Amino acid sequence: MQVEEVFSSKPRMKIMKIIAHLGELNISEIARRIKVNYSTTNQHLRVLEDENIFRQRTYGRIRLYRFNEHSPKAKAVKNLIEVWEKEDKESDL
Amino acid sequence: MRSYQSVFKDETKLDINYVPYRLPHRETEKRLLMEFFKFILRFPDRMTQRVIVTGDVGTGKTALSQRFGAEITLKAKNAGHKLRYVHVNCREYRGRFSLIIHNVVSIFHPNFPKRGYTAEEILEALLKILEEENVYIILALDEFGSLIEQEGSEAVYKLTRIQEMRLNKPQRVSLICILRDLKPIGQLDSSSKSTLQQNIINLENYSKKQLADILSDRVNLACKPLTVSEDVVSLIAELAFSENGNARFAIELLWRAGKYADAEDRDEVTPECVRQAVSSIIPTIRKNELSSLKTHEKLFLLGVARIFKERQKAYTTLNEIEKAYAVVCEEFNEQPHSHTQLWKYLRFMSALGILKTEVSTLGKRGRSTLVYLPTVPARELEKELSEALKN
Repeated sequence: MQVEEVFSSKPRMKIMKIIAHLGELNISEIARRIKVNYSTTNQHLRVLEDENIFRQRTYGRIRLYRFNEHSPKAKAVKNLIEVWEKEDKESDL
Repeated sequence: MRSYQSVFKDETKLDINYVPYRLPHRETEKRLLMEFFKFILRFPDRMTQRVIVTGDVGTGKTALSQRFGAEITLKAKNAGHKLRYVHVNCREYRGRFSLIIHNVVSIFHPNFPKRGYTAEEILEALLKILEEENVYIILALDEFGSLIEQEGSEAVYKLTRIQEMRLNKPQRVSLICILRDLKPIGQLDSSSKSTLQQNIINLENYSKKQLADILSDRVNLACKPLTVSEDVVSLIAELAFSENGNARFAIELLWRAGKYADAEDRDEVTPECVRQAVSSIIPTIRKNELSSLKTHEKLFLLGVARIFKERQKAYTTLNEIEKAYAVVCEEFNEQPHSHTQLWKYLRFMSALGILKTEVSTLGKRGRSTLVYLPTVPARELEKELSEALKN
């Protein structure tokens, strides 16, 4: 998937922002926070996992998503979000 | 204006959650716990341990377990093992097994989902997490009785057996079950009972001397030098001893007494501060108790109240009371009663709990009876009695 396709989705961007803040979450909680249904959230997560940006840990029925700490893409995205938010905060002051 | 001064140098050392480095009169039990868990320092994957710690309120169960937890974690770290001591108060989670286990899981995964999963699923997840992180835990279940009350044998069975069913994998969860007595264990099925009841450490109630040692340690940690006299420590120890040797009560009383001293801008904690503190915790003397006393009993008690009000002492003697009583009789135009009669009054007041007596052998000659005012502030008592005698 091209970079513009990955970043073109608002829910996906929201998911990445939430995980950047909280470290990891399960699907239901991500869906609740971005106000999108479970199945759509699942699809977005699959995209992020396929792109190696996210990875999941499975404990029985429980699936937790987080940034893939071994992936340069994940590091870059996390960094982008952090820098972006830091700049926003500074300009607000 | 005088600047604000406090008798405390660090009052956090009197906080209920503070765990001191030294646990007076619990060193043997701590060594015993260490013996039970010693294998963890050499072969953490070969076995797990289960220990029950029992004892009344304020006998140091929680402090013992937490101090032990801190020490064994450090030793394990030095031995190159990842060991976590996790302390959970079951009552805080209303004895719900799933919530208790969730709390443990959330140490490793803070956003682990709270709803929608069974206790078994969360427990399985915990074991998998421990496996992934190669961590061993000692899980201290405080107020263990509430878990049994809520979940019965099921939770204990799961906790102890689920890891045994994971063949060829290291055992990772050891247990310390903390409860007041063994009664709740009796409710468990025989299998769970036998699994748990192999190692029991019972903490006896503290004696007055032991409470005084504990208080002296805390005074050194929490209060400025010369702000708490031995008399005050002894008075608090005596009061806590009458509350079943409750060290928690003693420490709280010390803190409250210090607060009263600070509020009155005193340089030290006086016995009166202790009495004020007690009366704020325990219901003090009721007015109808005083009104039921006969005139000379009231006069006698008024004499006692004045001694303690005027002199900042924790104890007095019958001899001193007799003198004070004579002055009070003169004030109210009454003929003083004999020494023998006063001795009877003292015994009566002691039976009512208004006064307390203790035989001392520390004097120069023979034995003497020390009298103290356990719970009522002398000022309050004097006021009540003066009004009662005038009416």
